[in-house]
Amino acid sequence: MVMPMNSEAFDNLRLELRRGCLVLAVLAALRSEQYGYTLRKTLSEHGLEIDEGTLYPLLRRLETQGLLNSEWREEEKRKKRFYLLSASGALVLDQLLAEWRNLDSSIYTILKEQSHGTN
Amino acid sequence: MELIERYLEVVKFGLPKRQRDDIIAELSGDIYAQIEERETALGRKLTEVEVEEILKQRGHPLLVANRFMPQESLIGPVFFPIYRFVLKIFAFGYLLPATLVWIGLMTFSATYRMEQTHVSWFHAFASLFSYLWFAFCLVVVPLTIAFVVLERQQTRLHLFDRWNPRKLPPVRNPNAIPRSSSAFEVAANLIFFVWWAVYAHSLEMRFGSVLHISFQPQWLWFFWGYLALSLGNAALSATNLLLPFWSVSRAKLRLFYDGVGAALFCWLMQANILDGITAKNLSAEKAISLTQAINHWMTTLFPAAIVIGLVVIATGIYRIVRLKPAEGHSLP
Repeated sequence: MVMPMNSEAFDNLRLELRRGCLVLAVLAALRSEQYGYTLRKTLSEHGLEIDEGTLYPLLRRLETQGLLNSEWREEEKRKKRFYLLSASGALVLDQLLAEWRNLDSSIYTILKEQSHGTN
Repeated sequence: MELIERYLEVVKFGLPKRQRDDIIAELSGDIYAQIEERETALGRKLTEVEVEEILKQRGHPLLVANRFMPQESLIGPVFFPIYRFVLKIFAFGYLLPATLVWIGLMTFSATYRMEQTHVSWFHAFASLFSYLWFAFCLVVVPLTIAFVVLERQQTRLHLFDRWNPRKLPPVRNPNAIPRSSSAFEVAANLIFFVWWAVYAHSLEMRFGSVLHISFQPQWLWFFWGYLALSLGNAALSATNLLLPFWSVSRAKLRLFYDGVGAALFCWLMQANILDGITAKNLSAEKAISLTQAINHWMTTLFPAAIVIGLVVIATGIYRIVRLKPAEGHSLP
């Protein structure tokens, strides 16, 4: 008998799955310059909800790793920190995207083979 | 917007000092941007309740600050299982036996109980607790420091770079009896048997003209008891040497020998077995007081003997229980 999975376990697995994808999404979204709040909105509009408690530490980590550049600028009478993908960030993004496509293709193949096996 | 300032002040408290102002400026910008967007959509200023709701959605300020902190641990996942294992050895090998001996002494020794509770029972418990706490600090603090240093130096010392699969510990079979320990037991029991038969067979034990010990008549019970036990144990160890895995029947025999040995030892402890001691340069008065002191100390140690005996018996019972499900598989 298949036991239904409890929601906490599912949430943890979902979180793990999303973690790597969010890095990819943030790097991809920052090919054009944005500040934190607009970045969050952009991701949300594309179906990737991310709370500020996750986004800002992630942005700092990526900047420390040299994948992002940032600068403080005043816009609409308020100082905002704008982020942009760095040259090495662009390179890493390409590599990560290739990796992601490989993973996607592998999972697709496994699922396809198994669905043939069961039919 | 006092609520926002208060919120950010608590976030600031939990942030690393160097990045504090930078992070607060960014978070503050984010909160105000959200509020402004809502206000534009509604065409009016947000009420305090609505601002409160926005802050609540963002989570407790200390949790928000925590997200910016690096995930640090004093002892990481590589060393933690070893650290926990050493702590367990200390807890079960020292703290628990020390507590059991204390309980044994308090239960069976009126003198010890009187000494401990002459102020109050609370004082007795406090004294036990302070003793255990002192032992805990003496061992656990240096141990933790050592593991923290190891954790910090792990990468620099390349501790896990040089290793050989052949040098990993062998798979432990709890029912296996190391041949080396069986051989040692055979030798030790036979040596004891010969020594006991030669020196302890009468109520008087002489060590040349230097020392002369005399015993109460019950001594012969102990003599024959331990003589038989040493012979039985030697035979059992010899069998274990040939068949180096416990079987239920041999485990039961070991439990029987251990039980009889422990019972005899407990009896010996409170039998006032010494009748007298004479030695060169020892006055008659001193010999009498020495005899009484030894008998007294043996009686005092009687509760400890009971605890040790119970532990030995419990170990033997556990060995049999562990063997029962495996019986009929590959055991000889």
